[in-house]
Amino acid sequence: MSLFPTRADWRRAAEDLTQGLAAWHIWSLLAFNDIRQRYKRSRFGQFWITLSTGIFIAGIGIVYSYLFDRPIETYVPYLSVNIVIWTLLAGIVTDSTGVFTQAGHILGQQAMPKTIFVMRVIVRQLIILAHNLVIIALVFMLFGIVPTPAVVMVVPGLLLALVASLLTAMAIGLLCTRFRDLPQIIQSLLQVAFFLTPVMWHTDQLGGQASYIVDFNPFAVFLLIVADPLHGQWPGVERYLQALAVIVLMGLVAAPLFARFRARIVYWL
Amino acid sequence: MPSIALHRASVDFPIYNSRNRSLRNALLARVGGRLEEAGDLVTVRALEDISLTLNPGDRLALVGRNGAGKSTLLRVLAGAYEPTSGSAVIDGRVSSLFDLTMGMDAELTGADNVVLRGVFLGMSIAEARSYIPEVAEFSELGGFMHLPMRTYSSGMRLRLAFAISTVRTPDILLLDEFISVGDESFVRKTRERLERMIDKAHILVLASHSPQTLRAYCNRALLLHEGRIVGEGPIEAILARYKEQAA
Repeated sequence: MSLFPTRADWRRAAEDLTQGLAAWHIWSLLAFNDIRQRYKRSRFGQFWITLSTGIFIAGIGIVYSYLFDRPIETYVPYLSVNIVIWTLLAGIVTDSTGVFTQAGHILGQQAMPKTIFVMRVIVRQLIILAHNLVIIALVFMLFGIVPTPAVVMVVPGLLLALVASLLTAMAIGLLCTRFRDLPQIIQSLLQVAFFLTPVMWHTDQLGGQASYIVDFNPFAVFLLIVADPLHGQWPGVERYLQALAVIVLMGLVAAPLFARFRARIVYWL
Repeated sequence: MPSIALHRASVDFPIYNSRNRSLRNALLARVGGRLEEAGDLVTVRALEDISLTLNPGDRLALVGRNGAGKSTLLRVLAGAYEPTSGSAVIDGRVSSLFDLTMGMDAELTGADNVVLRGVFLGMSIAEARSYIPEVAEFSELGGFMHLPMRTYSSGMRLRLAFAISTVRTPDILLLDEFISVGDESFVRKTRERLERMIDKAHILVLASHSPQTLRAYCNRALLLHEGRIVGEGPIEAILARYKEQAA
């Protein structure tokens, strides 16, 4: 058994991707059903998403503004934006550990592009993001913050993050189906990543010699290109180059992995 | 024209126990020296060297004892399992009615589930939605269509699932045992509908243990034993051989 994909493998993987992306009605329906189902019988329904993120931000915001000795009126808006974006990035990584195992019952019975289930995870997290954006709007109104023109850069930032997410979810999903210890490992690494990423703290607080913590941290890179525009800053060109570098690297890992082992996923379920 | 062509298709299932499924062991097996677990991987060969061509008009019966590979073969024909070696080319729209409730969600209403199941069958959302009245009528669920499916009895769930799953005729129909759903009057309705579907489908593959059922719907047969084709031909001859084998 070779570790390298054959030409037929590449062709079928490309078909899986194009057909999967084209089946938008399936993955969007699945994603919306996931969210609906999760909150179906609760009174606040899916606004629990907004509410729980809000409670988290309020708690952390008060304590850390004292700890870091920052005024609440600048720290809480800063934190809210970061937490909301972090929730998206971390959510995609967490959810992608179960992307194929969750769909095991379907995949075992019917030929379906695997990409559909990857897109389902991404859309599910985008729906959660949409609910959390309410918090950013509320906090900005509360503290009288007006977004600067830099806010337009949220769009390219988010698009880059989504491309990286697609590749990451494919690779993680596939590996987690084969190696059942990986979801736990990823979960604990994610907790560490939260503290290594400038979510609660500011990049400036690191001091020059420790800037590698941000520069070589893919979470930090994607957090900054989405969050900085919301903080009123234009991200530097080097941040976009870093983001592109991460995407290329992820592509070099995910594409051959997916091409080679896509058909094996059902056998591992 | 719809067709199926398997060429020397084999299906091997690797069985990972909790030990060799872990990353630790995969890493150790590479860098470590002698490891007893290295040869621990058990592989089940579910299908071996299956070559098979199906064309429009073919009504194939799959015969064999439990574990002979009938269901696995159906899943290969459905395209769910791509063979480990050899090839499988499936051309045409396949409907595999192995688990009627596949993809359905108990928290959603009957109508929502019609849409969900319809989309899995290859419909657009609008198309699936347009079938809701027809499904409601056939399944006789009436007002229950707008209640969550968790309030249904298991019989009601199957009625709903059957009604939507059979609303459109596929090119290739795959059945694991002839479906029988519901109480006496409904069984008659499902039989009629399924027979119409079988009639209209270009290719049928039916796995069953009932000789009467196979005789009624199939025109050729395949005898499977331990994952291999051990007999192929007219239905009566194969059924006779199966009886011999079982005795």
